[in-house]
Parts: sequence; C-alpha cells; structure tokens
Amino acid sequence: MRWAGPRRPSDRRCDRPDRVLDSRVELGSANLTLVKASTALRRSALLLVPALALAGLAGCSSDSGTASSDSAADAAWSYTDDTGTTVTLDHRPERIASFSDYAIGLLSNGIDPVAIFGRVDVASDPRFDGYDISKAAIVGNSYGEIDLETLADAAPDLIVTGIYPTDRDGTLDLAGPYYAFADVEQQAQLAKIAPIVAIEVGGKGQDVIDSSNRLAEALGASQETIDAAKQKFDTAAADLTAAAKENEIEVTQMYADADGIYVVKPMDEPETELYSSLGVKFTNANPDGFYYWDIYSWENAAQMMTGDVLLVNVEGYQEADLRAQPTFASDPALAAGQIHSWNGAALDYTSQAAHMEQLADIIRSSKKLS
Amino acid sequence: MRRSTALRSRRALILVSLLIALGVIALASLMLGSNLISPGAVLTGLFDPARDEGAVVWGSRVPRTALGLLVGCCLGIAGAVMQGQTRNPLADPGIFGVSAGATLAVVIGVYVLGTSSILMTLWLALAGAMVASILVFTVAALGRGLSSPVPLAIAGTAVSALLVALTSYLVLADETTLAAYRIWVVGSLSGRTLTGIEGALVFAGAGLVFAFANVRSLDNLALGTELSKGLGENLLRARVVGLAAITLLTAAAVALTGPIAFVGLTAPHIARSLVGGRHAWLLPASGLIGAGVLLTCDIIGRLIGGTAEVPVGVVLTVVGGVAFIAIVRRGRMATL
Repeated sequence: MRWAGPRRPSDRRCDRPDRVLDSRVELGSANLTLVKASTALRRSALLLVPALALAGLAGCSSDSGTASSDSAADAAWSYTDDTGTTVTLDHRPERIASFSDYAIGLLSNGIDPVAIFGRVDVASDPRFDGYDISKAAIVGNSYGEIDLETLADAAPDLIVTGIYPTDRDGTLDLAGPYYAFADVEQQAQLAKIAPIVAIEVGGKGQDVIDSSNRLAEALGASQETIDAAKQKFDTAAADLTAAAKENEIEVTQMYADADGIYVVKPMDEPETELYSSLGVKFTNANPDGFYYWDIYSWENAAQMMTGDVLLVNVEGYQEADLRAQPTFASDPALAAGQIHSWNGAALDYTSQAAHMEQLADIIRSSKKLS
Repeated sequence: MRRSTALRSRRALILVSLLIALGVIALASLMLGSNLISPGAVLTGLFDPARDEGAVVWGSRVPRTALGLLVGCCLGIAGAVMQGQTRNPLADPGIFGVSAGATLAVVIGVYVLGTSSILMTLWLALAGAMVASILVFTVAALGRGLSSPVPLAIAGTAVSALLVALTSYLVLADETTLAAYRIWVVGSLSGRTLTGIEGALVFAGAGLVFAFANVRSLDNLALGTELSKGLGENLLRARVVGLAAITLLTAAAVALTGPIAFVGLTAPHIARSLVGGRHAWLLPASGLIGAGVLLTCDIIGRLIGGTAEVPVGVVLTVVGGVAFIAIVRRGRMATL
C-alpha cells in the first residue's frame, strides 16, 4: 500500500500529518477542528489541491522549452517552466534534486537525480523499483519535510517539483508555495540552494507527460530514450483502448472516509482524463460544478452507485470498511466484488504504460452489471 | 427555606425543559439529513427496516442520533467534572491525556496488529485512554501530590505530549498506519456504526456513576483545596473518583466517534449560566446540553453541504465558538 501521487483528499497542505499531530495536544484541539474546517471547505479546489493541471494551457506547448540551442553541457542553459519562470544557468544542470513523482519521470528518461524528497518514505516506495537510486541522497520522506542541510550537501544545480492548479481553468497560485513544499519560507530557502522549476500537474494527462519529457530533454535526455518509452506507452494505450471496447463497463474512481464518498471527476484528473481519451468510461455524473471531486455523504451514497467496478484510493476506506457502511452495502460493484485498491501513477510514459496494463486487466476481468 | 425551594423548582424546570428540547432535537436528527427523504419515508423505514430505502434511516440517521446523544452527554458531563476538578474554566476533558492515549493505542493497533476493525479500534481506544490517565495520575501523585489541581494538569499535558510524540513517530514511520490514523483522528458522527456500542455504554455508565459520586466533593473543591480539606474532604478520594469519571466518560466518547472538541468545554459554561454552580444540577444540565449542542451542530452540518456534509467539528467550532464568546461577554461565566 503506497501512494504514488498527490491526488487525494488528504492532500490539503494543512492536513499534513505533522500539522495534525502538532495540533493534537488537547488544549489546542481547536486547531484540530480548524484542520477539519478545511475539510469542510474541501469543495473549494484551493484547499483540495487535488488534481493535476492544465499543463497544456498557454504555457506548455507554445512556450515549449526554451532549452539552450546548444545542447553541450558547458554552454549557457535556460529553461522556462510551466509557471512561466525562466531559469538561466551558465551550464546545463547535471545535479538534479527532485520530488519523488518527477524523479521517477526523470529516471524513466535516463536522468539520475542526486537528491530525492518524497511525500512518503522514498526508500520503500515501490514506484522506484527497477531504478537504482542508491547514489541519490534521500532528503525528505514526508510532505514538506525537507532536510535542507543534506540537500545543500548534495549540491544540486536545479530543484524539480510540481504545481497544481486551483481550478478547472488551470489557475496557478504563484503566491503560494509549490507542491511538496511546506510554505513559501521553505521554498525561499530552497531557492537559495538551487533554482526551482515546477511541472504543472493538471488538465490533460498527455500534457503533463509532455512537460515531464520536455524537462528531461532540456536536462539532456536523449530522444531515443523518450521514443522507446513512448513506444511501450503507445502499445499499452492501444491495449487499454481495446480492453475498453471489448468490455464497455463504467469505472468509478473514488476515495472514501467517515465523511462520505469522493468521486473523481475524470476530466479534472490528468490520469483519468488520459484514460478517458483512450476510451475508458468513468463515472462522470456531474462534470461541472466544484473542481475535481463529487462528494456524497453516506446518506447520498446511492446517487453514485452507477459504476461496474470500483477503484478505491489506497489511503481511504478499503473493501472491508466499505462493506461495513450500511448505506453503501447495496452498491452493485461492491456486491459483485469488483473493487480494487488503486493509486495514481507518476505521469511519465513508463509509469503510465505499466499502470494502463493494470487497468486493462481490471477492465477485462470485470463484468458489466447493468 | 422558601427561597431555596423556589430555586430548586426553577432548576428542575430548566432540566425538564432541556430534556424536552433534547427530545425535539433527537427527533429532528432522525428526520433531517443530507438525503432529503420525507418524514413519512423516515417513519416507514424506522418501523419497517425492510422498507428502509438505501438503509438511510437505520444505516445513518439512527446510529448518528444515538451516538450524538451518548457522546455529547459523556463529553458535557466529563467537561463539567474536569472544570470542577481543576477549577479551570478552560479545562477540556482531553487535558488528562485521554484522547492522546486513545489515539496512540489505535495507532499501535494498526502498526503492530495491522488491524483497523471497528470493534478492535473501540477496545484499543478504551484501553489506551485508561492507561494514559492512570499514567497521568501516577505521575502527579508521585510528585507534589494531589492537593492542588496544577500537578495533575501539568502531568496531563506532559504525558499527552509524550503520547502525541510516540503517535507521530509511528504514523510517520508507516504509511498504512498514517492512513488509518488520518481516518480515525477526525472526530465525526458520520460514517460510524453502532458496532461495539455495548462496551462503550458500560464505560459511560460507570463514568456516570463516578461523576455523580463526585458531586459533593466537586462542590467542596470549588471553595478551594484548603477550605475543602477543612470541611473534611478526602482529597485523594475526591481526585480518584473525579479522574475515573472523566476518563471513563471521555474514553467512551472518543472510542465511539474519535476526538470531538468544544463540547466538553462549552456545554458546562452554558449549563452553569442556566442552573448555577451546584454540581448536582450542573452535571445533568451539562450532559443534556452537550448532547443537544452536538446533535444540533451535526444536523446543521448535514443540511448545508449539498450532497455532501459539513463535518460536525467544523460546525461546532463556528457555533460553539460564537456561543462561548457570547457567554464570556455576558459575564455570566461563574468563577470557579
């Protein structure tokens, strides 16, 4: 049970475990309630920080990588990231520090980071299986907890992280910290160690992958490596399309806890957007309205029981917990046992190819229920 | 003599009014929810569970109403005992490490045993709460004694900090534990079932007995420890009984719904402004008000969230906070 990506309700910045714990001291329990308050406002996409973003907006494709004309490592290097920030260095960065999700993307393109910080324990994160990260310094294993000294010792030339839009239009909150950082103060300290670039995680899945590749290329990844990964991706994508055609079932991607059920709006999450574009049918009862999630209290669970198979986020209620909820027990997919623990994968060709194979298997092995 | 009789009947009248109000609130809690089914459908489902569409009545309304009544009552009374014991108007039942102990036990359960079943969680929370408050009591008793409430409060705060640190360590070391912790630590009446409520009822019942056995001592303690000693109060006994009441009541509440703040703090103040500081009246009034406040806030939360709901903790902070400020502003807050 691991977390692949940051797309889940618990991803509100204020819900970081350390914050919750700090506020757990009893007399400060009002703080805890404030943490909860943010849950109430979860409909506000701002606090949800859930989705990946509209990378394909103005910035990404048109502004595409002003990476240096000269790819030699000793020539001046400049790169404009998805926030529009241009980083200029006197040489192409060789030593990269990166947040886990994007480190996986870099690794898949043959670029080995010298430092990695994660939202969860990096050493045991299975998404790194198959990559050798033994030489990388692990400088953080929990959201916003980054060991600045160890990071500085790793002497990175560049720090890579992400940014999530706050709404469906892809609005980026540039006054706030980037994803993976505790606050703007921490971000300012990090910026003193090395310049920071951010990958926008929202909107179309393909755009996020493209952004990741664009950065990798600017950092020296070869076109052949990317093309090889794309080939696997294309094969898996074609197979997923075939599976979705063979068995036209509805897939519900959700998270659940005591407050109720959160159904992912497939067009607001880059990964589900990508799979939708390949023909997978996701539950999409309410494409407009609040960003990213449709939220149903347990009393209203019946409103979202249209799916033939449930993909439940690894962090929330699992099958046994869901069966214990009387108002959800009648869900057809649950009753048929068509329920799978699910997590987002990193948005790069290699990770997505593997993830799509899993999804294709699930689709083929599920029955249409209605 | 006549005056005290008048006062007593006035207080009795207030208690009866509170009881009636609570009945109305409980009825509203059955009738109202985020799924706007008609009162007729609620009644049908209530009396004929087979026709309970989507299990809304028996799967959601009934359990959360029962839990709201029980937990609110426990927290209100525990808060009143707590404030009386510590003579601190800001004391909250959690101050003795009860919630922190329950949380750590639940986290250890997931970490070591890998279990997060409802029943196991409940018993772990109860056990953790008991162990924590025994620890607090021992630390305080070994130190400067129990005559002043200060060592108890300090020991409680220190032990809580230690337990929170341990919880933090386990939670950050293991993601499965973190996930389970996150779900548990958010106090809520939503999504809970009545599984294991029998055990919690036993705890709550025992806590009630201790609380009412503590009434006279609490009245004496309100005069200050010196004076209450002079009145022949056995301080050790008074503290042990009070602490047992607080622990059992809070443990039952926390085990059922997770930690819920503000009820234990606010309810006794409202009660004091209605029935005065005599604990024989204050405790039942605090219990009734605690249950009423918790359920009312829960109902409000159900109605303002669309297809979703606003968690009771949020509504409590807003409503409870405003009520609390109003009480303080009116200057009716009895000095303890």
